[in-house]
Amino acid sequence: MTTIIILAILAGIAVFAIGIFNRIVTLENRFENAWSQIDVQLKRRGDLIPNLVETVQGYASHEKEVFEQVARSRQAMLSAGSVPESAEAANMMTAALGRLLALSESYPDLKANENFRVLQEELAGIESKIAYARQFYNDAVLQYNNAIETIPGVLLAGPMNKKEQVFLEIPETERQAPQVSFS
Amino acid sequence: MKAESVRIPEAITDVVTGRKISLLDWKATNQRASILLVVFLVGLLASIGYLVAQVFEPGAALFFVGFASLLALSQSAVAFWAGDRVVLVASGARPANRDEHRYLVNITEAVSIGAGVPRPKLYVIDSEAPNAFATGRDPNHGVVVVTTGLIALLDRQELEGVIAHELAHVKNYDILLMSLLAATVGAIVLLRDIVFRSMRFGGRRYRSAGGGSRGGKSQMVVFVLLALLMILAPVLAVALRMAVSRRREYLADATGAYITRNPEGLARALEKLLEYRGAPLAVSEGLRHMLFVNPVRALNAANIFATHPPLEDRIDRLRRM
Repeated sequence: MTTIIILAILAGIAVFAIGIFNRIVTLENRFENAWSQIDVQLKRRGDLIPNLVETVQGYASHEKEVFEQVARSRQAMLSAGSVPESAEAANMMTAALGRLLALSESYPDLKANENFRVLQEELAGIESKIAYARQFYNDAVLQYNNAIETIPGVLLAGPMNKKEQVFLEIPETERQAPQVSFS
Repeated sequence: MKAESVRIPEAITDVVTGRKISLLDWKATNQRASILLVVFLVGLLASIGYLVAQVFEPGAALFFVGFASLLALSQSAVAFWAGDRVVLVASGARPANRDEHRYLVNITEAVSIGAGVPRPKLYVIDSEAPNAFATGRDPNHGVVVVTTGLIALLDRQELEGVIAHELAHVKNYDILLMSLLAATVGAIVLLRDIVFRSMRFGGRRYRSAGGGSRGGKSQMVVFVLLALLMILAPVLAVALRMAVSRRREYLADATGAYITRNPEGLARALEKLLEYRGAPLAVSEGLRHMLFVNPVRALNAANIFATHPPLEDRIDRLRRM
């Protein structure tokens, strides 16, 4: 009789532990997937650069410093290996592209160029997708961190070798990025 | 840019029951309600079928009950699998394409990422009147429709707010419940028409049979009960649909604000729609409760016939978040 009770208790604990294990893995997959969403958008943004630079150069070829800054940020993006490095490079690129787009204020012909307007809208679209993807990532990280730092998750987080993840910070410059209107 | 430092409540107080509703649990409530609704509809129509049989042909009760149940089930099935297509055709929407509606497509893709749902299929209605609605049965089959007037009127943050509101309907399964409610109203009205038509026909036979061998007091009672039910059921079903849609607008506003972390965008969009003085969107009455705002100004109100809460109240709630 006692054996049966002990077995039942053990089985109960096992079921409970499997539940926690699955939850942690699900939440981990969620934030990893959320990161890949950001990554996709960052790559798409990088892919827009050659076309954008070419268009802008047609009107403002002597603004060499801006083009160099954009090229450097793209290089940093391509060589980034880890999540923090990618995030850093992404912030660099945001700043560089902000300057590039701002050139249109000084070059009315560029501003009126249809190709430029389409690229500008695409870029604005990608920027907001990155912002939303980052928000989703941070939400997912928060859920994950809560799960592995509170009881009962914390009991399994150690043996499963799960560590707290850091949030993606938004640089001040990007928060104040000018609103691109397309109407 | 989105103000991510703003704290948005994850739960809001339901205007009807006064209970706190977690925005994240709302989906489960809707899924339960959808199943209950189908069960209720089958039960209601089966009972009506039974009463009809008692009046006309007690021997064929099984046939009448079976027919009514089948009607209820088939209406629900059509709503589930084809409800979105019915609505799209009825509203005259056409698919959006990336080149023509780049702005809309980009914004919807972004907000979908934030909401954590697949990008819905996008449709546009060529109309000056700013409006939008969502349909489909679940987030994998979500459809969002906006008018060209809405795209022209709103800036990026405002349009993000409206799209987030519509995605909230998608994500929370409001779209499924609304489709099934429309089917419920449709099935009840259809059955009423069938019964009334056959009552005229059956009534003649009833009289010509004369003598009253089958007719009696109890049958008369059933007859009156049935007539009453047939008149009241459609009215009640429509009232239910109104109440359900009214209450979901607040929830979708709150969820939309949560998705964008920017209640102000949605509030400003509502303000612009409040100020709009052009021609209203021409859609059939059966679709109005689904829209972002009811094109009939007076139906954005606090009374029981309204499909939407007053716009001022929605704006005020968003501003107080």
